[in-house]
Amino acid sequence: MTESSRSDDGGADSESEPEAVTDGGSAAVVDDRVRDFTTFLRERPQLRTLSIAGPPYGILVFFFAIPLLAMLVVSFQANQIGGAWTVGNYVDFLTSDTYLTVVWRTFLISVQVTAIVAAVGYALAYSIVRFSRRTTLLLLLVILPFWTSYIIRMYAWINILQSDGVLDAILNLVGLPAVGLLYTNTAVLIGFTYVWLPLAVLPFYASLTNLDGDLIEASKDLGAGPIRTFLSVTLPMTINGVITGIVLVFIPTFGSFITPRLLGGTNNVMIGMVIENQFKSAFNWPFGAAIGMIISVVVVTLLLLATRFGGGLFGAGGEAS
Amino acid sequence: MSLLRVRGLTKEFGDLVAVNDVDLDVEDGEFVSILGPSGSGKSTVLRMVAGFEKPTDGRIELDDVEVVGSPPFERDVNMVFQDLALFPHLTVAENIGYGLKQSGVQADERRDRTERMLEMVRLEGYGDRRPTELSGGEQQRVALARALVNEPALVLFDEPLSSLDRKLRQHMQSELQRIQVETDTTFLYVTHDQEVALAVSDRLVVLNDGKIQQVGTVEELYEMPASRFVADFIGDVNVVEGRVTAVDDRTVGLDVGDDEVSVPRDVAVGDLAVGDVVDICVRPFQVRVDRAEDDPDAMGSAAGVFSTTGVVRSRSYQGSDSQYGIETDWLGRLSAEIRSASFEIDDQVTVTWDAADVHIYRHDGDGSADDHGGP
Repeated sequence: MTESSRSDDGGADSESEPEAVTDGGSAAVVDDRVRDFTTFLRERPQLRTLSIAGPPYGILVFFFAIPLLAMLVVSFQANQIGGAWTVGNYVDFLTSDTYLTVVWRTFLISVQVTAIVAAVGYALAYSIVRFSRRTTLLLLLVILPFWTSYIIRMYAWINILQSDGVLDAILNLVGLPAVGLLYTNTAVLIGFTYVWLPLAVLPFYASLTNLDGDLIEASKDLGAGPIRTFLSVTLPMTINGVITGIVLVFIPTFGSFITPRLLGGTNNVMIGMVIENQFKSAFNWPFGAAIGMIISVVVVTLLLLATRFGGGLFGAGGEAS
Repeated sequence: MSLLRVRGLTKEFGDLVAVNDVDLDVEDGEFVSILGPSGSGKSTVLRMVAGFEKPTDGRIELDDVEVVGSPPFERDVNMVFQDLALFPHLTVAENIGYGLKQSGVQADERRDRTERMLEMVRLEGYGDRRPTELSGGEQQRVALARALVNEPALVLFDEPLSSLDRKLRQHMQSELQRIQVETDTTFLYVTHDQEVALAVSDRLVVLNDGKIQQVGTVEELYEMPASRFVADFIGDVNVVEGRVTAVDDRTVGLDVGDDEVSVPRDVAVGDLAVGDVVDICVRPFQVRVDRAEDDPDAMGSAAGVFSTTGVVRSRSYQGSDSQYGIETDWLGRLSAEIRSASFEIDDQVTVTWDAADVHIYRHDGDGSADDHGGP
């Protein structure tokens, strides 16, 4: 195969040369240059790889790696950028009960949100894949909220959840007492669940579509009931999608500050709000940077543990899916 | 007393009747094949027995217990799937032990029985591999072991061999037979491949358009097909159209092409009346081919012999036999399997076969519309 395609290429090249000379039209010249260029690249595989992979890696380096490095440097400076070198920011944070309480609360909320989104999202994705023929339409509906700005949607939730808001009005209408959920932990959970659900449903859906229905039948045929089948076939076979979804939800929840501020008020401070505050109000960038670094390390560590544990739990089941 | 007794089994998908009033008995220890073309409903029958489809109507009894309505995981049957459906995230041993684990067999016993099964299917030492690391034939064996290890009353096969190449398929056929005898298990095997079905089965069930066409041993089906469909489906057959000119207790007179031939009454299936249009079927190996005589009158129709003249149009070697395609003057294109003759393309030949070797079906009999032998 390789041989024949190579000789085909050679044939095309040798034909094109006299054609360009006799024709001389500008289109032909452009064609010719494009062909020369691709030939040039084909003969230099390393340069070709670089020309494809270069731009994205360049973007990553300039907009992610360098800023991260800058943040790391700044986090070791006192009070302001260019301040004296110190590890004081880290010490301050790690010895403060207030901040550690906030981190703990953030962790709890993130775990709760991730668990709720994973459970609801998996059920939703499963029902779309298994029980519906209108998968495209349903998926479209799932991602429909993305078409509206995040902030606007949060303000909509304020309207719904506030005292005497839409939710309370409906509850009153059916004779139930008002709840006034805004600025409670529940409001934050509702907001997060709403925001991240579509993000988790997509990887869940993708992995569930790839799941061979015969495997489910085989499991039942071999005597496993629905719950056993789910735990020993469906879930292990889709574990990669589940982990992807969990990562996509857990990371942004841990670092978020808009949703908790708008829906949680001051009672439900999350660590993202603290960091934002250091940068925008307290103007202590080094301290904010230090918190950011700590949180990044914590989250990455947690996720590495989770994926390893999750993969190991099902005998590295995801690899085949 | 049958192990599996199916009565009046019917399955409708909307307007489509996939399975139509099927009765079926499988005795303990039998190897029964359901044979039919794609879309004949054979897999649907199997899936209803396994419990994956709910019958629209009818009964399925396993060991005299009605199983319709009970879920697959409560039925004492195991299935070997068409694409095998091995669990890719489990090892070979875990795949085989899966059913035992579900039924609460202890780890020690599970390991022993899995090991014994691996021996049975000749895959000793493969237990720790992943199914994806095995060849197609090895995967077949794992799928078989996974079903057999549970010692089910009945093992169902949904064309599992269809993905294998011919040689491996033949090998697996004999393996299937060996294992069926060794384990003394009842097999119900579904396939569209007559070669597989003929080779392995004690009895065959021929299914078409959701209806049973015939049930019998291989010999019965081959030698006395109940319909033109069966004759066509089990082995090759030439079909020639004719008209009934006379019927009595012992013979049937037929008008075929320009000829009159009388055949024994017992080769005709069902009632016949004068004027009926019939399909006359004859196996290619029963067709004789001779070099054409110079004098066309010399080959008049002998009593009880069909004959015609024609031209050889094609030939292909099939090991010991050669298959010839012959364009006949009156009877359309016929094929003949001959052992020891060599004709060239375009040779003029006479084609004859004995009236006793044919089978005759009334034209409207089985509704199979495709017309092979018509001029």
